[in-house]
Amino acid sequence: MRPHFCSRRHFIRANSFGLGSLALATLLRDDGLLGAPVKPAIAPERFDLLPKPPHFAPKAKAMISLFMIGGPSQMDLFDPKPMLTKYDGQKFPGDIRYDNAAEASSKVLGSPWKFSPHGQCGIELSELLPHLGGIADEITLIRSMHTGVNNHGQSMFALHNGRITAGHPTLGSWLTYGLGSETQNLPAYVALTHPSGMPLLHGDNWTSGWLPSIFQGTHVRPTEPRILNLDPPAHLAGEAQRRQLELLRSINETHLAEHPGESDLEARIASYALAAKMQTAAKEAFDISNEPAHINKLYGIDKDVTRDYGTRCLIARRMVERGVRFVQVLNVGQSWDHHGSILGELPRRCAEVDQPCAALITDLKQRGLLDSTVVHWGGEMGRLPVLQNDIGRDKCGRDHNTYGFSTWMAGGGFRGGYVHGETDEWGHEAVKDVVNHYDWHATLLHLFGLDWKRLTYKRATTELSLVNGQPARVVKEMLA
Amino acid sequence: MGFLAAVVAPATAEPSFEKDVQPLLKRHCWHCHGEEPKLRGGVDLRLRRFMDKELDGGGHVIVAGEPAKSELLTLVKSGEMPEKGSKLSPEEIAILERWIAAGAKTERAEPESLTPGPFITEEDRSFWAFQPIARPQTPPAESGARIRTPVDAFIFAKLKPAGLDFAPDTDRVTRIRRVWLDLLGIPPTPEEVDAFVADTDPAAYEMMIDRALASPLYGERWGRHWLDAAGYADTNGGTDTDSKRPHAWHYRDYVVKAFNDDKPWTNFITEQLAGDELAKLTHESTRGVLPDRAAIPLLAATGFLRMAPDPTGDGADNPLTRNQVIADTVQIVTSSLLGMTVACAQCHDHRYDPITHTDYHRLRAIFEPALDWKAWRNPAMRLVSLYTAEERATADAIEAEAKKIEEEARALSAKHKDRIFEARLAKLPEGERQQYRDARAAKDKRTPEQNQLFKDKPELNVDAGSLDLFDPAADKEVKAVKAKANEHRTKKPAEQFVAGLLETSTPPPQTFLFNRGDYDQPKAQVPPGELGIIADAPEIATDDPALPTSGRRLAYARWLTSGKHPLVARVIVNRVWHHHFGRGIVGTPGDFGRLGERPSHPELLDWLAAEFMDGGWKMKRLHKLILLSTAYRQASVNPASKSADPDNRLLARFPIRRLDAETVRDSMLAVTGRMNPAAGGPPEPVGIDKLGRIVVGDQGRNANGEPLDIVRIGGRELRRSIYVEVRRRSPHTMLDTFDAPVLSPNCNSRAVTTVAPQSLLLLNDPFVVEQSEALAAQLRTLAAERRDRVILGWRRLFSRVPREEEITMALDFWNSQIALQPAISKDPSLAAAASLWQVLLGSNRFLYLD
Repeated sequence: MRPHFCSRRHFIRANSFGLGSLALATLLRDDGLLGAPVKPAIAPERFDLLPKPPHFAPKAKAMISLFMIGGPSQMDLFDPKPMLTKYDGQKFPGDIRYDNAAEASSKVLGSPWKFSPHGQCGIELSELLPHLGGIADEITLIRSMHTGVNNHGQSMFALHNGRITAGHPTLGSWLTYGLGSETQNLPAYVALTHPSGMPLLHGDNWTSGWLPSIFQGTHVRPTEPRILNLDPPAHLAGEAQRRQLELLRSINETHLAEHPGESDLEARIASYALAAKMQTAAKEAFDISNEPAHINKLYGIDKDVTRDYGTRCLIARRMVERGVRFVQVLNVGQSWDHHGSILGELPRRCAEVDQPCAALITDLKQRGLLDSTVVHWGGEMGRLPVLQNDIGRDKCGRDHNTYGFSTWMAGGGFRGGYVHGETDEWGHEAVKDVVNHYDWHATLLHLFGLDWKRLTYKRATTELSLVNGQPARVVKEMLA
Repeated sequence: MGFLAAVVAPATAEPSFEKDVQPLLKRHCWHCHGEEPKLRGGVDLRLRRFMDKELDGGGHVIVAGEPAKSELLTLVKSGEMPEKGSKLSPEEIAILERWIAAGAKTERAEPESLTPGPFITEEDRSFWAFQPIARPQTPPAESGARIRTPVDAFIFAKLKPAGLDFAPDTDRVTRIRRVWLDLLGIPPTPEEVDAFVADTDPAAYEMMIDRALASPLYGERWGRHWLDAAGYADTNGGTDTDSKRPHAWHYRDYVVKAFNDDKPWTNFITEQLAGDELAKLTHESTRGVLPDRAAIPLLAATGFLRMAPDPTGDGADNPLTRNQVIADTVQIVTSSLLGMTVACAQCHDHRYDPITHTDYHRLRAIFEPALDWKAWRNPAMRLVSLYTAEERATADAIEAEAKKIEEEARALSAKHKDRIFEARLAKLPEGERQQYRDARAAKDKRTPEQNQLFKDKPELNVDAGSLDLFDPAADKEVKAVKAKANEHRTKKPAEQFVAGLLETSTPPPQTFLFNRGDYDQPKAQVPPGELGIIADAPEIATDDPALPTSGRRLAYARWLTSGKHPLVARVIVNRVWHHHFGRGIVGTPGDFGRLGERPSHPELLDWLAAEFMDGGWKMKRLHKLILLSTAYRQASVNPASKSADPDNRLLARFPIRRLDAETVRDSMLAVTGRMNPAAGGPPEPVGIDKLGRIVVGDQGRNANGEPLDIVRIGGRELRRSIYVEVRRRSPHTMLDTFDAPVLSPNCNSRAVTTVAPQSLLLLNDPFVVEQSEALAAQLRTLAAERRDRVILGWRRLFSRVPREEEITMALDFWNSQIALQPAISKDPSLAAAASLWQVLLGSNRFLYLD
C-alpha cells in the first residue's frame, strides 16, 4: 500500500487496538494534522474498509461459513457410535438432559447409516456425505464442539458473537473491523440466504452489533437479481450518474462536517462509494453464466436438488476470489432441526449440500485459494443419542444437544485429514479436547493473524472483544 | 458469558449469597438439586442451610470457611458437576470459593420451609422491574442549568457528575423538522416552517407540537410503532402459502384512530385484550347480526390477539401449529405489554428471570378460552359479518328470492324432462308405458326389476343425463332462469367482516401444564393468573358468571391497567422514549428481564410512568412531557458528550439517526406533493415487478399462474406506507431495504442498517427516479426561474433556505446535467433538474433526523 495519510492512520489503528483515540489524536497532532487542541482533545475516528495489517503473519485472508442452522446430527453424519447401534431401541442407561424437548423418550436411536473410512487419513464419515468423503484429507473434523446453551438462538449467538445474547458484533464484523477488506468494489461481508426464506434470527446472523455499521454484513437476495438496482436508469448511466455521486459526496461531506464523528453518516457516505463500484463489480461477481460446464457440474448446478446450494457455494467462491473477507451461506429457518422424521429429512438436507460443499473445497484448492480461505461447515448444535417422538421410525427425530457436536473446518491454515476431540461413547457430550465457541473464535482470529486478546473495540470506557474475557485458547493441534 | 459481567460482583468484594451465589446455583444446579420433585443425591442447593448436610459418602456439601473441605467446590472445580449443561466459569468458581472462605454467610434469614419446585428468591423479587412504580422526587433545580421540565432535572442529575451539560438548543427550523418527522413521519411544508419561525408567542414551540399532535398523520405514524409490537401483517404467514388475511386492516384502522383520538391506554389495552368481553359478545352471538354496532371497534381491537402467524387455514391445521399460534400470541402480549420474554418458560422454568413453567401456563390459561386448541376455529371460521339487521334482512330476502328463482328453474327443467320422457315413451306400446312411469317415479328406490327396465331401454332413463344432452334449447331456457337467480344475488349489500377474537359460551376449557412444552404430555391443571413474581396481582376467576364468556381476559386487562402493575406503564413510556430518542431508557423495549438492559435513568422512567398514569394514560400528554424538555430541544452536536459518552446514554446531545423505512418513503411522497392522503381501508396490494422488486400495484396472473406486469392503481400506489399491504413472505422492497420489521411474530425494536443496497436503491430505483421527476415538474409550475425552483425545492426537502454557495452548486450541476442528457431526451432541462432532486433525496440531510 502506498504510504499516505490513511495508511499511517491504519497503521496506528491496527497496532493500537485498545490504545484509544486519545493516543491517536496525539499522534495526529504531532503530525500537524490537527489544529490546536479543542476540549476534550479527541478527534472523531473515521472507519473504513481499506486493508489493515494484522498483528502477525496470517494464514487466512477470507472465510466462508457454511452455517447449518438447526443442528445437524453428529452421530448420523460425523461421529460414529457403535454403542448406539448396539443399544438401538433400548433404554438409555445414563442421564439425558432434554432441553426444550417435546416428545422426549429414553430410547436409544442407533444411526441407520453406515460409516466408513475416507481418504488417506481414514476419517470415518457417514454414507449420507459421500462427496465429503472425497475431500476428507482436506478437513479438520472437530467432534468436540461445545457451547452448552441448549437453544438455537443462544447457541447461534455464542458462535456468531461470543455471547449468548443479541446485539453484539458477529465474527465477520470483527474480521472486517480488524482487517478491512481486500476489495473496495464489493461488500466486505456478505450473507447468502435460501430462496425459501430467511434463516432463524434473520439479520442477527450478520449484524455488526455495536461496531460501526460499516462492518455489518450485506444480505444478498437469494434469487436473481441477487442485488437489486445495479443498473442506473438509462438516461443517467455513465457521466450523468458519476456527477450525481460527486455532488452527493460533496453535500454529504458538508453535512458530516456539521456532525463530526457520526459513524452512521460516514457509513452512508462509504456505502454510496461502494454502491457506485458495485454497479459493475457486483454484476460481474454474481453472474455465473460464464462459468464453464465442468464447474457447474462440479457444484451440482446442473441438478435440481443441488442447484440452489451449488450456485450459492459458487458465488461464495467468486466473492472470495474477488477479495470479499467473509461470506455466510445460510439455510432457511432452522431446517437442520430434526425433532421429527429424521430418517427421511436428514438425507434430504444432506443431498442438497454435500456435493456443493465438497465442490467448494475442490474448486478453491484447484485455484490456489484454499490455503488462504477458511471454510467452516456446521450448525449451532448437534443431536441427542436418544430418539424423540416415539411413534414410529418414520416420525421420530432427535432433540437438541450443545454439549458435544461436530463441525468441520478446511483451508486457511487448518490441518487436513485430522480429527479433533471426542464425545462420550454415546455421542452426548464432548469429553476430550473440548472446543468451546470461544476457543473456536480465538483459533480463527489467530489464523487471520489477529491476537484475540488485542482485537478490541473501545466503547465508552470499556474495551470489548469477541472472546469477551472467556477462558479461550488457540487450539494449535488443529493447525497445519 | 456477556451478561454475567452485569450480575457478578467485582473480584474484590465479598460475594453475597443472595446476589451472587444463589443466581449461579439457580442457573447451573437447581434443575437437579431443588426444582425437580426428586432431589438428586438428596442434595438441595436452594437454601444456605441445606448445604450443611452430610453427604451419603461422608463429607459435607460445604464447610463454612473451608473451601478445601467443601464437596460442592471440589465437584465444580473438577468439572464433575454439573453433570449436564455448561460447567461453571473460572469467575463463577472463584465467587463460590470466596463466599465459602468468607464463612458462607447469608445476608438475611432464610425462609422457614420450601416446597419442592421453583423457588423465587428475595433477589428475584427485588429486581428493579418488579418493584412497584413510585413517583420519585424530582432532583432539585440547579442554578444556571437549562432545566425546563422534570425530565431535564433527571437527565441533568446524571450529566453533572460526568462533567457534561446539554448541547445548545437547536434553531427553530431544525426543531420543527425534528418534531414533524418524529410525530408525523414527514417533513414540515415551507409554510409550516415559516409560521413557526415567525411566531413570536412565547408558547410558539408548544403550539407547534399541538398542531402536529392534532394532525391525522400523527395516528398513522405512531400507530405504526404499535403495529410493530403487535406484529401487524396482511397475510397469515407460517407457511410458504402465506395466504391473505383480508380483514386485518380493521385492527390497523382501530389503532390509528386510537392514537388520533388520544384514547387512554387503559381503554386501548383493555379493548385489545378483551373488547369482545366488554361488548359481551360470543362466537354464537355474532353468527347472525351483531347485536350492537358500537361493538365493531371493540371487536376490531381484539385483532391484536389475531396478529400471530397462523397457517391453520392453509393446510397446516394440526395440534402443533395451533399450539404455536397460541404461543406466538402469548409472546406478542407479554413482549409488547409486559416487556418480558416468557417463551422459554413454555418448556421449563426460565433460566434467568423468575418466570416459572407454571407461570407460563397460567398466562396461557387467560387466553385459552378464546384460543382453544381442542376446539379450533381457523381464520375463515372466525370472521364476523358486519351486516346491519336491515342489510341482513335485505340479503336474506334477496337470497330467498334467488332460491325461489332457482326453484323455478328446477321446476322448468323437470317439466322439460317430463315432456322428453313422455315423448320417448310414446314410442312404446300403450301397455308397457305405465311400468316405466312407476320405475322413474321410484327414483333411487327402484327394485331390481325396475332397474332392469332401464337397462333394456336406456334411452328412457332421461334423469341420468343433463338436459342439454336431450334438448339444448330447453337447457338454455333453464340456464337463463338460473342466471337470473345469481344476478339477483348481486343486489345484496356488500358484506364486510372483522376477524376478531371471540370465546364460545360453553364452559371454558381446562389448561394443563405441558411437560417440556409438549401438548401430548399434559400434567397438572393450571388456573389462569399473572406471573408469580408480580406482587399483589388479584386472582383471575376461572369463569365470570356476570359475562357470557369466561371473563379472564377482561379481568387480566383490568389488572394490567389498574395502575398497580409494575411493568405495564414502564414498558409503554419506555417505548415512547425509544421512538423519540432512538433508544429506550431501557435499551431492550421488549425485555425488561435479566437478559435485557438495565435502565439508564431508572428514576426518570418511573417518574414518566407515574406521570403517564396520573395524567389519565394519555399518549399526547406524554409526548409533550418529553418534547418540551431541553433534552429533546438540544442540538445533535456536543463534542464533549461525543467523546465522553459515545453511545449517548446520558443524552447530552440529541441522537442523530436515520429515518425509518416508512418515513423515508413517506417523506419522498410528501416533498414531491404527491402523497395520496386517503386514510384507512383495505391495504394497497403489492406484487413483483420485472426487475424482482416488490412494489405497490395490482398484479394479475396468466393461465399458467405466472405473474403479469404490475398495473398502477390510480394514485393509490402513492398512499402512506402504513397502507401498503404487509406480506410476511414478500415484503415491499423499499420498506424492506430500509429495515421494516420481519414479523415472526412481532418486532419490539427495529434493526437500523447502513448497507450498499440502500444506496443502490436511492441511486437507481424507479420509485426514487419517478418522485424526483415529479418534483422537478411540479417546481416548474410554481416558479419561472431555476434559481427560485432550487430555493423552493431545497426548502421542501430540508426545511431551510439554501446558502448562496449551495444555490450556485445546484445550478451549476443542473446546467452541466442538461448537456449530459441523451439526444432523444424530450425535456433535457427537466431531466437534469430531476437528477439534482434525486441527489438531494438520497443525501444524509434528507435521510437523517437531526
